Amino acid sequence: MKLSLRWKIVGGFGLLLALIGLLGWVTLSLFSSLRTVQRRVFDDAVPGLVTVDEIVRSYTAQSAAVRGFLIQSQDSLLEQYRVEVGTVHVAQRDAQRLFTSDPERALLRRLINAGTDFQALVEDRVVPLADEGRRALAFSVLGQRGTPLISEIEELGNNLRELQREVVVRSESDLRSQSGQARVILLVVTVGALVAGTALAVLLPRRLSSNIQTLVGAARAIGSGDLDQKIQIKSGDEIEELGARFTEMQSGLKRLHQLAAQDRELEIASSIQRNLLQRTLPRTPGLQLVPIQRQANLVGGDWYDVDVSGSEMTVAVGDSSGKGIGAALMATVVLSVLRAERGLGAGPTRIIQRANQALKEATDPDSFTTLVYATVDFRSGAATWLNMGHPSPFVLTSSPRDGRPRGFFLEGPRNRALGWFDDPGAGQTVMQLEPGDRLVFYTDGLLEAKSPEGEIFGEERLGQAMLRLASLDCADLSEALVRQVEDFAAGKLDDDLTILVIEYQGSPLGERVVEELTGERPWHSKE
Amino acid sequence: MAQQGVEIQIENKGGFRVLRPTGDLDVYTVGSLRDVLGQMIEDQTPRVVVDLDAVPFMDSSGLGALMGGVRRLREAGGDLAISCTRDQHLKLFTITGFGEGVSIAPTVEEAAGGLR
Repeated sequence: MKLSLRWKIVGGFGLLLALIGLLGWVTLSLFSSLRTVQRRVFDDAVPGLVTVDEIVRSYTAQSAAVRGFLIQSQDSLLEQYRVEVGTVHVAQRDAQRLFTSDPERALLRRLINAGTDFQALVEDRVVPLADEGRRALAFSVLGQRGTPLISEIEELGNNLRELQREVVVRSESDLRSQSGQARVILLVVTVGALVAGTALAVLLPRRLSSNIQTLVGAARAIGSGDLDQKIQIKSGDEIEELGARFTEMQSGLKRLHQLAAQDRELEIASSIQRNLLQRTLPRTPGLQLVPIQRQANLVGGDWYDVDVSGSEMTVAVGDSSGKGIGAALMATVVLSVLRAERGLGAGPTRIIQRANQALKEATDPDSFTTLVYATVDFRSGAATWLNMGHPSPFVLTSSPRDGRPRGFFLEGPRNRALGWFDDPGAGQTVMQLEPGDRLVFYTDGLLEAKSPEGEIFGEERLGQAMLRLASLDCADLSEALVRQVEDFAAGKLDDDLTILVIEYQGSPLGERVVEELTGERPWHSKE
Repeated sequence: MAQQGVEIQIENKGGFRVLRPTGDLDVYTVGSLRDVLGQMIEDQTPRVVVDLDAVPFMDSSGLGALMGGVRRLREAGGDLAISCTRDQHLKLFTITGFGEGVSIAPTVEEAAGGLR
């Protein structure tokens, strides 16, 4: 059950207060019962008994006084009788006030009637006969009619006493039963109060403390870097809520750690990639070369390499699959082999074979590298390249008829990507560049740039953009092209983007190269 | 750069299994495909056809995972064939040359026919 800590404490204390209240009420009602019994016994039954005794005694005394008067003819005894009559009137008035139940009242009425009859007998018959000197007759009348009345009074008195005794006995029984009930209630309430009090004073704080200890332990462990704490608190209150937040916080921290590690990895990958780039490009007459590279958020495996030897410029543009450090390291492997083999004077085919071998041995089977390895003779304009599973280069030229720009993807002999096949192939594409012709090498980051709607940039857009931008010089064309791709992808590049434009500006020596290609050009146009 | 998964349905066709990834196969999602291919080797069911018809986009990471899968499954005594009708993917296989090393066909059954 979900119950907040506040309501648990309020509820606990409320229960305790209710139990204490009940305890008070039971005690008070016990006192009240005692008071009732006391009233019934001491204010009612006992004075009743005393009054009945007084009435019976008074009538007996009246009878004795009259008898004495008849025997001894002393007026003082008659006077004593009259005093007793006054006394019995007072006692009877008290009795009428004290006896309130119907049976008591009926008995009292009969008793008072008997007393009144007795007094009427004395006043109307016995005393006049004595005054007339007929004492024997008066004595006889008193004996015959007065004695039964006194006996009746004594009997009624006994009955009344019996009733009072019953009241006392009943009160005592009531008191016993009520005190028994009260004892049970008091016991139950006291035990309940003890249990509730113990729960409040011991269990709640202990559970609270234990749960808080769990949280403190978890916080300590999290603080020392252990983010796999399982916090199991089922208290249904704020502490459970806090435990859940701790668990969330751990996931958040893990995520942060991951992000930090990824950031670090990206930083390393980015740094490797930057170091691969040539700080200074070799310059050569007759050829203008403009490379542009944009790193993706995750750092892809794009790279390029330019070298000049004799009248030849060697240009390699590549893309190692995957992202981050893995891709950057693979690019390092390829570049190292390229540069080392070239330094040893190896030709393109051998360089490519060596790079393939190195990649196959050094990298995991999920990785591969595509590249174009080209040589351009800046004297003759002859360009030759090996395409190793890479997107086809784009040629931007102009129509010999009207000078308008023409462009096409140059599909030459296609070889396979490096790092997976034993023999990736070594088919070469050869073409003759005319002055003003541009050869554009790029990576798939351009083609696969995705718009927010999920559309890819693709060859069609790339070709159209090149033609539109053909009037710009190499640097401006490259920049404008990259900007268009970035705009298309709304600034979010998932892959590196590399573009390298080479413009053949004609023989620096002013002489046409005589070497002509014969027959069909070894590529087909996708103009 | 949240790590996402690509949903991959696995169907047992008796002699081989068909994996049907749904969604882009790129650097963000390729881990799922790699895991499932690893599972095929662990389950000793290394003959697999990957159906790419529900994959709108695949980058070099996705292609790398497929080709790595081919090599691993072959080492485990099986093979990986690809069922695909999407030009964009087919072009990627052609450009990189991987199409030459793997059975690629428009239907699962035809692709499975080329399994070694």
